[in-house]
Amino acid sequence: MRLKYFVFMLLVAVMPSVRGQDNPPETQIKTGSPFNQSKFVPDISMIVDFSYVSRDLDNTQFSMLSLPGLHAPIETSQGDEGSNAHRGFNLNYGEMSLYSIVDPYFDLFAVLHFAPEHAGLEEAYITTRKLPYGFQVKAGKFLSGIGRMNEQHEHYLDFAERPLVLNAFFGDEGLNELGARITWVAPTDLYLMLSAEILTGENEASFGTSGFSDQNGIVNISESEGPNLLVGYMRSSFDIEDAAVLFGISYAHGKTRMDENFSAPDGEGTALDASTDILAGNLTVKYIVDAIRYVSFQSEYMYRSTEGSFYNRDTSFTVEMYALEKQQAGFYSQLVAKLGFRWRAGIRYDLLNLNNVLIENANQSFPKNLARYSAMVEYNPTEFSRLRLQLNHDRSKYIHTSGGLMYKPYTEVILQLNIAIGAHGAHSF
Amino acid sequence: MKMLCFVLTCIFSTQGVFSERLQVVTTYPYIANIVEKIGADRVRVIPLARGDYNPHVIIPKPSYIAKLRRADLLIINGGQLEIGWLPPILKQANNANIQPEEKGFLDLSMCVHLIDIPTSVSREQGDVHPEGNPHFSLDPDNILIIAKTIADKLCELDPESASFYHANNAEFARVWEQKMKEWKDKMESIKGIKVVEYHKIYDYFLRRFGLVIAGTVEPLPGIPPTSKHIGEVERLIERDKILFILQDVYNPQDASEYLSKRLGVKMIVLPHDVGAVKEADGIISLFDEMVRRMTQ
Repeated sequence: MRLKYFVFMLLVAVMPSVRGQDNPPETQIKTGSPFNQSKFVPDISMIVDFSYVSRDLDNTQFSMLSLPGLHAPIETSQGDEGSNAHRGFNLNYGEMSLYSIVDPYFDLFAVLHFAPEHAGLEEAYITTRKLPYGFQVKAGKFLSGIGRMNEQHEHYLDFAERPLVLNAFFGDEGLNELGARITWVAPTDLYLMLSAEILTGENEASFGTSGFSDQNGIVNISESEGPNLLVGYMRSSFDIEDAAVLFGISYAHGKTRMDENFSAPDGEGTALDASTDILAGNLTVKYIVDAIRYVSFQSEYMYRSTEGSFYNRDTSFTVEMYALEKQQAGFYSQLVAKLGFRWRAGIRYDLLNLNNVLIENANQSFPKNLARYSAMVEYNPTEFSRLRLQLNHDRSKYIHTSGGLMYKPYTEVILQLNIAIGAHGAHSF
Repeated sequence: MKMLCFVLTCIFSTQGVFSERLQVVTTYPYIANIVEKIGADRVRVIPLARGDYNPHVIIPKPSYIAKLRRADLLIINGGQLEIGWLPPILKQANNANIQPEEKGFLDLSMCVHLIDIPTSVSREQGDVHPEGNPHFSLDPDNILIIAKTIADKLCELDPESASFYHANNAEFARVWEQKMKEWKDKMESIKGIKVVEYHKIYDYFLRRFGLVIAGTVEPLPGIPPTSKHIGEVERLIERDKILFILQDVYNPQDASEYLSKRLGVKMIVLPHDVGAVKEADGIISLFDEMVRRMTQ
């Protein structure tokens, strides 16, 4: 009895496979590695920027230009020379960006910046995907959201270089810091975004963390460890018919500690121990004319105030300390229009209108009202390639000579080619 | 302190701001109109882009972020039509409920069959969509599928009103099927004719009514016409006895006008979305107007 039952069960089990033989199922044989992860490759893009520069100033003089009291000459500043540094051809940079969703909770974004001689991790940060109540956190190394243009990548700028005031206050690479940011978007009809950033504050143009001491131990300022810089900003926007109006205010407060050869065993040196505040406002009005054309006005004003102690050490190790005070400000205004399917044109005015540097309450009489005039025309064959012709007339720069400051206005023409390949994310407003 | 007061006011005022109605944001106006038909007064629907602009290159105004921030549901066309403008503002909206893969996100391209899926993609081919032609909403049969998909999604998010949404969808489908008969009858007179279009945006519409697409005025998707290509289109129009050039409302019209004047072919400006022309003020009148312009 048990055997019969077993045989019956066996038949039942075998039957489908026997029937299957009449009509063999179509099996698809998949080849390739069973561990293939190519579907998880992040979005990768590469942007390359070339230019041809014509300038009525030779390369050596150009590398010595500075904004007195504001920005050091290119040759003494850290990092690469910056874009368009040479007459003739320039390979300005290559920028590789990687983006992917990490998991249900985070996104990761990284930008590798390549200069002809070296490479660096320009940005690398995560953002949260699922925080409730309109919050989002960003953490890692990223461009601060202070003002309007600081956060934008170089290839997205409307002109070949950043405005003078951003350059003077944050250097050629912008305020790019290690830290964390929290943003909150209000659940209102009016767009309102509030943000706070806590950053290391290593930016050498306005902040800095270096400690310093002299050999005799008269001055001993420790390195400022931990977050040194706080940034807060709000942005709001509304539409008037076909015009979008975006405005914002930003505030930054941080420590400024710099050591320029002060702790060195020989030579002369200076050092700075101060605190810096930056207050900034920005306004953008973009009027959409029709399906193709628009006109966009954008302006940013920034005011910087630094207060603290300035140290000077001579070769015989005599140290002197002075009270230092700086009030500096500047703005840019630009008008850019998309004129046709492939054409854009724009003009920009840069001005550093305030440049008070007081040592022991004595104004150092650095030049102010430093201006630059720019105009550009762009031809964009597609959204992935751009050819731009820009004219700059710069009346803001000086050269330090043995006889003091020498005013050095110049004019340059830049023909810029900017190319993007790969999967590059869309840009925001 | 003033800032803090302002923030607190904003937080507490949200209770008044959030209405009980479901907040639906759509990328394009045609989707908004279908949502209105099904959701009626139980939803509040806001379209982002304007119907008379190029759907590929919408300027992502910051005011859109505020709209996305408060949405319970975001409905997109998909098929990568929004890839050039939606991702950054969706990210900046800080609204976890409407991110892709969440319940409050609906990609309509997932519910319809896309045509012209390229076997290989390269940007040499212009602004090519790897997932197929994304202008599927101009196939009137797809509208029924889209309406049903939207109704199902509204039921999922607001189950209490499920019977209301289903009834509205059934009524919409009834009206739509009647309209389909009317449009098919009218379009019968031009069935089988060959046309040229500026951009490959009317393919679904033309295929549904049995028209033949002989070529495009732009040499490649998103690339404006060159004189060499216009010469080729001229020869094509003469050889294939093309009767119509179909022009959208947002691209430059000079090339189509030139061909029309030179060769005596009729240029028809066709709406592609609700609001593209003033007669197309809803999803039904959009197709009414397309059929009227094609057949008059």
